[in-house]
Amino acid sequence: MGVTGDVLQGFLQAIQPSSLMATAVGCLLGIVVGMIPGMTISSGIIILLPLTFVLDPNVSIALLLGLYVGGMLGGSFSAILLNIPGTPSAAATALDGHPLVARGETGRALGVAMLASFAGGLFSCLCLFFISPSLADLALSFRAPDLFSLMFLGLTIICSFAAQSWIKGLLSAVIGLAIVSIGQDPVMGTARFTFGDTNLLSGIHFLTALIGLFAIPQLIGNLGKKTIASAVRTPSIPFKSLLPTLPDLRRMRLPVTIGSIAGSFLGMLPGAGGPIAAFISYDYARKTTQSSDEFGKGAIEGIAAPESANNAVTGGALIPMMTLGIPGDPVTAVLIGALLIHGLAPGPLLFIEHADFAYSVIFSFFWANIFNLVIALAGLRLLVKLAAAPRTILMPAIAILCVVGSYALRNSFFDVYVMFCFGLLGLAMKWLDMPVVPLLLALVLGQQLEENLRIALTGSQGDISVFFTSPFSALFLSLSVVSVVWSIQSTRRMQNKEAGT
Amino acid sequence: MMVRRNVLAGVVLLAIGLGYGVLTADLPDRTLPGTPGPAFLPWLITAGWLALSTALLVRGLLGGGKKSDVIEYHIPTQSWLALVGFAAYLLLLPTLGFIVASILFFAGLTWLYGERNKLLIALTAIIIPIVLFYLFAAGFQVLLPRGLWG
Repeated sequence: MGVTGDVLQGFLQAIQPSSLMATAVGCLLGIVVGMIPGMTISSGIIILLPLTFVLDPNVSIALLLGLYVGGMLGGSFSAILLNIPGTPSAAATALDGHPLVARGETGRALGVAMLASFAGGLFSCLCLFFISPSLADLALSFRAPDLFSLMFLGLTIICSFAAQSWIKGLLSAVIGLAIVSIGQDPVMGTARFTFGDTNLLSGIHFLTALIGLFAIPQLIGNLGKKTIASAVRTPSIPFKSLLPTLPDLRRMRLPVTIGSIAGSFLGMLPGAGGPIAAFISYDYARKTTQSSDEFGKGAIEGIAAPESANNAVTGGALIPMMTLGIPGDPVTAVLIGALLIHGLAPGPLLFIEHADFAYSVIFSFFWANIFNLVIALAGLRLLVKLAAAPRTILMPAIAILCVVGSYALRNSFFDVYVMFCFGLLGLAMKWLDMPVVPLLLALVLGQQLEENLRIALTGSQGDISVFFTSPFSALFLSLSVVSVVWSIQSTRRMQNKEAGT
Repeated sequence: MMVRRNVLAGVVLLAIGLGYGVLTADLPDRTLPGTPGPAFLPWLITAGWLALSTALLVRGLLGGGKKSDVIEYHIPTQSWLALVGFAAYLLLLPTLGFIVASILFFAGLTWLYGERNKLLIALTAIIIPIVLFYLFAAGFQVLLPRGLWG
């Protein structure tokens, strides 16, 4: 089947009633999850994941993509309404969104946020559609040394972005690699670090680790915090007030363009993610618009730029995930896990072996952006009430879902206990201010990293120059060095700044 | 008690790294000469682990890092209780079964989160585990442990 046939097939799969329904439900859940401070999109997806095991891969990924896209917008709603960003990516939106609410222009603030998110999401969808196949084609020419170096680059970049301390970032990745080394080695099948336990032969299940690392620290961290129910007052938001006026639309054009481009590009970089894209866009919009004095007091541009950026990040992050198998952020790392469960390995071969599925993902992402806008416009009042559900009930329910989710993976208590141990590890890392994201990426990439490293060295009979003679590999390794040096320098700058204060 | 986080973490991680290295040394070396075997990556990990945890320890000893590295080592009682409760729940799960164990755990955790409405605690603690049990059994073919439930 040609490319056109694959695109058409993907489109048809994405418009199946079950896929469309899943996308819409995902958006609805995502907006609610995003609106609840203390809940992250990753946690929402992890909790929902066990429910998708029995679904068709197209339906399953449509549901999760809906949650991803919806979560970004939901996070902004709570940032605007409560001045509490539901997701880290929405922090920049609160700077101008909440002042507008304080001035009694709630509908205007939310309307601008919705439209900017929609525009950013659609722009990144176009990037995903046009860039992914070409990048996948290029990635097909990568050999084992190139693939190893690419994964190594992914790990080092994420360490640089995710950690305030480069030592802790790299340590987190090394811990992840050590965990991946448990079980049979990927080349010869030799049992490593299993202590004779057959449960460990197949290694630590990625999702079990993920549930523990993300959900348990969140459950424990939320203890003692006041419920948000009392803080939420459902404001009166007439539908008409949500529709931006023509002057507002004119003011949004430039910041939305900046945000969409910056978000899509930064989304492609592993680890850069929504918060960085949102703040960079906010800053750039402030410098380039005439109303820079209004920033921080309720500027429309101050909402439009970060909102378009954080939604554009979603499509950007899907590009390296689908074409190279490298997640752009924690959510796409979880999505890789979801695809693997369905026997679909993201990477360049996805566009060869399952091209129709790859395009159906892109089209589902497009529908997710459409549904996101429609659901947000139509059901805003109800969504605000849903998000105010008492945390006292929500958090215990999530705790039980974590247990069910880990058990459901292989019907095994072993996985449940492993999940709990990872929860303790997550708490320890939080206490140490060590980022979890590099560990997560190491869990996703570790096995392929080792496989490609050993295949490359076996092919070259142990000659490590193979990593420097291939142009792609040399480029990726050089970029890795740059990212580590940059990270060390930025840590030093931060320390000097602290010493100065 | 005041604890330097980086120093403590550096020492603990160094010890774990050494243990990982000892276990790596025991790995079988089934490979052709000049090509990497199953212990190849674990050795690289050991080297990286030891170097980085030493760097963390040295940084902690020299007083580097953020000012917040020196913190009061205090974990709220609620968090400890929740963790102990979670561990007890997991241990009792095979014996008591999903529904009974989850009802007890749910009720306890709801109380820890600050809910004091006894009727609400009782209703949600009973309804949510039962709904989840049958949802997973009927909808997703996941048979959660029945235990005392039958």
